[in-house]
Amino acid sequence: MSKRLPYQVPAEASDRPAIWRSLGEKAEPGRRDRTSVEETSVQVPRADGASGSSFVPLGGLKAKAEAKKATKTNGEPSSRVGRRQFFAVGGATAAAVGLSGCLRRPAEHILPYSQAPEYTVPGIPLHYATSVSHRGEALGLLVESHEGRPTKIEGNPQHPASQGVTDAQIQGRILDLYDPDRSAHVLQGGGDDPTEASWSAFDAWWREKAEELEASGGRGLRILAPPTDSPSFLRARRALTERFPEARVHTWTPVSYSQLREGTRLAFGEPLHALVDYARPRAILALDCDFLGSEPGFLRNARRFAAGRRMRQPTDEMNRLYCVEGTLSLTGMNADHRLRLAPSQVERYLRALAAKLADTPGVQLRPAVAAAVRGAEAPAGVPAAWIEEVAEDLAADLTAEERPRGRRRRRGAVVSVGWRQPAHVHALAHAINEALGSVGASVFLYDPADAEEPAHAQSLGELAEAMGAGEVDTLVMLGGNPVYDAPADLGFAEKLGQVDTTIHLSSHVDETSRASTWHLPMAHELESWGDHRSLDGTIAIQQPLIAPLRGGRSDAEVLAMLGGIRAWRGYHLVRRTLREMTGPDGFDRIWRRSLHRGVAAGAPRSRPRGAAVRDAEVAAALGEHEPASGEGWEAEFLPSYQTYDGRQANNPWLLEMPDPVTKLVWDNAAYVSPASAEELGVRTGDLLTVSVEGGQPVEIAAFVLPGQADHVVSLPLGFGRGEAAGRYGADVGFDVYPARTAASLGFATGVTVRPAGGRYELVQTQEHHSMEGRPLSIDATLEQYRETPNFAQWRTPTPHIGPLWTQVDYTEPRPPAQGGVSYEPYPEVTPPRPDAPPRYKWGFVVDLTTCTGCSACVVACQAENNIPVVGKRQVELGREMHWMRLDRYFVGDDDQDPQVALQPVACQHCEEAPCENVCPVNATVHSPEGLNDMAYNRCIGTRYCMNNCPYKVRRFNFLDWHGDVPELRQMQFNPNVTVRMRGVMEKCTYCVQRIQYARIRARTETVVNDDGDVEERRIRPGELTPACAQACPSSALVFGDLNDTESPVHELAHLDRQYKLLAHVGTQPRTTYLGKIRNPNSEMG
Amino acid sequence: MGWNEPIEEIGEGRLVSKGTGFKQITDIVSGVTEKKAPRGWWILFGISATFTAILGATIGYLVWTGIGIWGNNSPVGWAWDITNFVWWIGIGHAGTLISAVLYLFRQYWRTAINRFSEAMTIFAVICALLFPTIHTGRPWFIYYPLPIPNQMNMWPNFKSPLLWDVFAVSTYFTVSLLFWYVGLIPDFATLRDRAKHKVRRWIYGFLAFGWRGSNRHWSNYERAYLILAALSTPLVLSVHSVVSFDFATSVEPGWHTTIFPPYFVAGAVFSGFAMVMTLLLIARTVYGLHDLVRIRHLELMNKIMLTTGSLVGYAYAMEFFIAWYSGNEYERFIFINRAFGDYWWAYWSMVSCNVISPQLFWFKKIRRSIPAMFVISIIINIGMWFERFVIIVTSLHHDFLPSAWGNFSPTLFDILTFMGSLGLFFTAFLLFLRWIPMIAIAEVKMVIPEADPHGAGGHALSEGGSHDDSHGSAEPALAEE
Repeated sequence: MSKRLPYQVPAEASDRPAIWRSLGEKAEPGRRDRTSVEETSVQVPRADGASGSSFVPLGGLKAKAEAKKATKTNGEPSSRVGRRQFFAVGGATAAAVGLSGCLRRPAEHILPYSQAPEYTVPGIPLHYATSVSHRGEALGLLVESHEGRPTKIEGNPQHPASQGVTDAQIQGRILDLYDPDRSAHVLQGGGDDPTEASWSAFDAWWREKAEELEASGGRGLRILAPPTDSPSFLRARRALTERFPEARVHTWTPVSYSQLREGTRLAFGEPLHALVDYARPRAILALDCDFLGSEPGFLRNARRFAAGRRMRQPTDEMNRLYCVEGTLSLTGMNADHRLRLAPSQVERYLRALAAKLADTPGVQLRPAVAAAVRGAEAPAGVPAAWIEEVAEDLAADLTAEERPRGRRRRRGAVVSVGWRQPAHVHALAHAINEALGSVGASVFLYDPADAEEPAHAQSLGELAEAMGAGEVDTLVMLGGNPVYDAPADLGFAEKLGQVDTTIHLSSHVDETSRASTWHLPMAHELESWGDHRSLDGTIAIQQPLIAPLRGGRSDAEVLAMLGGIRAWRGYHLVRRTLREMTGPDGFDRIWRRSLHRGVAAGAPRSRPRGAAVRDAEVAAALGEHEPASGEGWEAEFLPSYQTYDGRQANNPWLLEMPDPVTKLVWDNAAYVSPASAEELGVRTGDLLTVSVEGGQPVEIAAFVLPGQADHVVSLPLGFGRGEAAGRYGADVGFDVYPARTAASLGFATGVTVRPAGGRYELVQTQEHHSMEGRPLSIDATLEQYRETPNFAQWRTPTPHIGPLWTQVDYTEPRPPAQGGVSYEPYPEVTPPRPDAPPRYKWGFVVDLTTCTGCSACVVACQAENNIPVVGKRQVELGREMHWMRLDRYFVGDDDQDPQVALQPVACQHCEEAPCENVCPVNATVHSPEGLNDMAYNRCIGTRYCMNNCPYKVRRFNFLDWHGDVPELRQMQFNPNVTVRMRGVMEKCTYCVQRIQYARIRARTETVVNDDGDVEERRIRPGELTPACAQACPSSALVFGDLNDTESPVHELAHLDRQYKLLAHVGTQPRTTYLGKIRNPNSEMG
Repeated sequence: MGWNEPIEEIGEGRLVSKGTGFKQITDIVSGVTEKKAPRGWWILFGISATFTAILGATIGYLVWTGIGIWGNNSPVGWAWDITNFVWWIGIGHAGTLISAVLYLFRQYWRTAINRFSEAMTIFAVICALLFPTIHTGRPWFIYYPLPIPNQMNMWPNFKSPLLWDVFAVSTYFTVSLLFWYVGLIPDFATLRDRAKHKVRRWIYGFLAFGWRGSNRHWSNYERAYLILAALSTPLVLSVHSVVSFDFATSVEPGWHTTIFPPYFVAGAVFSGFAMVMTLLLIARTVYGLHDLVRIRHLELMNKIMLTTGSLVGYAYAMEFFIAWYSGNEYERFIFINRAFGDYWWAYWSMVSCNVISPQLFWFKKIRRSIPAMFVISIIINIGMWFERFVIIVTSLHHDFLPSAWGNFSPTLFDILTFMGSLGLFFTAFLLFLRWIPMIAIAEVKMVIPEADPHGAGGHALSEGGSHDDSHGSAEPALAEE
């Protein structure tokens, strides 16, 4: 308002016309006389300069009114303005004033690119190769970026560790990037009320401090960091130790793989990493080893394990997995034979097995080792078959007289031991693997990235001791959260208070940050430069996709800065590290190629090492340790499949991802076996008190888990962080770290478990665990399969009575010229061209044999399709929104020791979809390519489709799930997928946006051939993958065009063991399941 | 009764008490609308209006927040909302059955209760229509299922039973309303003629459409009434059959059942009669209608309830039999789960209310006992609500894939919406009692012996009919039949 001055009638208006109708009139004042005076009021030129139109905008009205007022104030009494007119104009003015207030908007500037960034085409995402370190392994990734906004993480197919796949946590990292609770400021002072500082303040402070430290050679300076696989980090660490020779570097991470390394140190004399190719061995024995779920390299393992199990025809061979473990793990769910055994008894079992193997002809166990285990007895209750038959099966390949023709290499057998087990058990396993001839055949030994890495518990213990003794005066913690996750008996938190200066680099202001004098915000992996070395020695560059949103720095940067490296900025740091490795020749080209491919080119690749088991040392170690008696309760600590060790505790996707085994969401719980629960008198949800010697008792809700070993309580880590976790992880689960001691990082014996009284509400997405004898996830043994290859269809026959109406043929593969139908969205507008390519027939195949149940697909789908998170309470009500559901059933009569059947279920895209018929508004309709499409805008939300869906895969927006999504979080949304409002139905679309993207790309390559015909390129197999299939580590999900006989999906959908879920209902689903094949040992009984 | 006497039909004989002539009938019925409302009316109206207000607030909150305020979930996409819908539609059934079917079958005893039950139908259908409207996720687009040509190229899906519902229920509502109104015209004229106040006379005069009671009016009236009765008779069967198609045409075990259409219609008549009975007994007592609504009427209604209750019981048994006989494991499971699963209490409430309680009507004493029939009618209404609940929730909560099984429990808002709809119904009904003749004056007059100049017991006028009444001239039309 105030900007627009009222129109002033000039005082000297006598000779110039104050009021004019046209330029001509202005120029010729005489014409004014001919205009009627009454009309003057509408002829006032607009103060805002708007040109005349039939619609008088508010500005004009106002100007008119104000002109009137101006006329009055100028002292020219106008007898023509009567009372009525005055009120009319006054009223209009008031209205205009009010309305013009509504029109005011804040100033916004929309600037187009005056010079477009290179490669950026709005609407077309770019993919950048990068890498991250994840659960002890470096994974190469491709990250999708929409106009500079990273939205989705995929695996980099060129990287050997990820091979194009990811897991749930990696999928969730994109959300961590947009975590609204991430720390944005350098904080000084610690405690509850730290003062906000800045990086420059910290840098200045450090310059002073560094001088002081340099004087003493760095005495009193300690660095604590998680284990690293980054060459740049190691280089920075070297620089630091050179600058401060007295400084010490400690390593700690709660899910510690030290025992693996110590095992190789013991067995081979040097720290190595044993990488198993699980596709090769014929028999695999996993001892407390979740190699599909939480051991280092598990993605690679899942991929290779699936490769060793994938069946194309009945004559194919298949590996066999024996699993001995305390709690049901991902690996245990996929085992052909599974033995419930307390973790402390695994050693006893392995010794007995080794003794048996030593006596097996063909197995050349080293003599001292054989002597050390001679006469070892299996733990009580282990069936004899588990020693005899397993030993025989492991040795079968060695003892076989003749190898099958055409196979050049023995397949052998592998014994894998998990991270919880002590080093000498690992060493014994290495000795057995060597005796089975597997080392070098399916077990490969690689040099570790960081040869100096100490044993974690010991290293942290030393640090704690030094802190307690007052030897530490400056402690720099680069990542990690030791106040939360350090073993309870070290008293780390109290001792931290005795250190003068504590500096914590962390993505969140977490428990440790609050206890530190400096908190430094840490940049996300997608925001910072870095490099990572995989277990097999592949080096990959970590390339940022976005400038730090919260102004953080990476750990390598901070370490380099502390170490006095001038060019400490990530880019220069990483570049120089690579340059040191490759040499300066043609480095720019190598650098660009490395960034482009995601795998460092030209860097020396490490090769698998040869090493011999040191007989005497292993035997000595075995002699030193007496296997535990196995009496009383034991507790074992598991990395959570959701939050890992707690670092992703503020990630709502992962918190709401059903645990692959328990289907619990938003919580952890103490798993106990049904028999033990009965003994304790508890049900799922009752609180337990678990006390470990040396630790503090923890209270945690019990969860009765079939398949759990008796008298073993399994405690998943990473929950119960309270406010420190952030807004999502604040009220989630129980903290079990207080129960953990440095001596019992993996498991603890001599534990007391008793009911604490009281209940806690645990929420699962799937509460019923029996298939009720229904043919849902259909399985057979290998022998049955060879006998009846189409066993799956016998269970669910497709009805032979056709429908009463003419069916639309969605399957027509021919182009229109040959009588087929081509797809055109508006046939009445553009009739299909006779030369249009034939239709696509999209289909999906789920191979139940290779699906491990890891749930990567669930989160990948959530990331791709903007699927909301609803929270614990809403999941409890049954309103979770996941489009992809991973059903997990327990099979078998024994509820103590069941087998597991897994089944991913998303929309089946039925040809005769029950949902489509019942929608009154045609909101869910069939596309000509056979997709069951949802038109969100049409949906009125009757939920009839949901009721009539036999698979119950439709998800309804009961409330406005997207209502309070923080703005930062919204940056993750995939712009190609509608964000659904409340009141509409949604479900899996087969990633229709990706189909359309591929179609557009194919159409842009339309060519006119020599005959003048227009040839549209067909979408090729592999060009298009839905998010779930892309993430799947075991390639159990395959998508493609069923009309394309060349495509893998066509081949798979026509395998003999294919079946359609609930085929008898007559829905004719497009999703095909391949029956699960188990490979049990018939001798095991 | 001898061989040479005519067989007495059900409902034949005296339908009003002795001494109740034309004038008394007019006085009794019109008097309710002319006198001040009794205190009981005001109390009931206050309660009902409060619940209606609660309904308004609940719907406001529902539209603002979403269906999530109810307990509906996946897999139980429909719960109390559609239970209430089907229940109200069922209640709305008795009206048309009584007024149309019984009319065509010349069941004269219907005249005492038809107005009443038709009004009940209208209000029940209004309550019923409320639920499909507000149960949608986006009720502001509720017009999408209507075939309105639009620029968005949208057209409803005529394959959907929900769309059939839209047409079936709206047709039923329209025809019921017309039927009710046509019957009301002569009575509005009576009220107009008796009116002492100008406004009252003007309003009733307007509503009476200029009725003068001429022979020509009566002739047209009778014809219109007959046509509408013939039109609405198939609707009695169609509406609830179509509602049952919502379930019967689906693939869900427990829903996909061919017995549903007749079973639903029988159930609807059953619940409709029960609701008429409940309301009638209250109104009869409050307004002293004993002379017009006699024990005989009530007993006849109880007999219908006994019949339909037995039909419903048969349907329950047959469903179980077919589930077993079909050999379909999903179907078998659903029925066993209904009776012995998580919602066993709902199933057994349904069976005891609907099958066992009406069997008491075999005893004449109970059939003629007002407190007994009042209690049983309410029990039947509860049972019929449970029937719909059982069909909807127990079929959905455990269907094909055990991984997707879930449970339903209602929230406060489920309860408030249901109570609110009862409030709306009773508010409308109480207003009806207050302002509209609750018994069809003209029709009752037609069936009293005085109206039959040749009837049994000699000349009708000898029994003291009143010549004062302006509508006396109409009787011969019916009496001749």
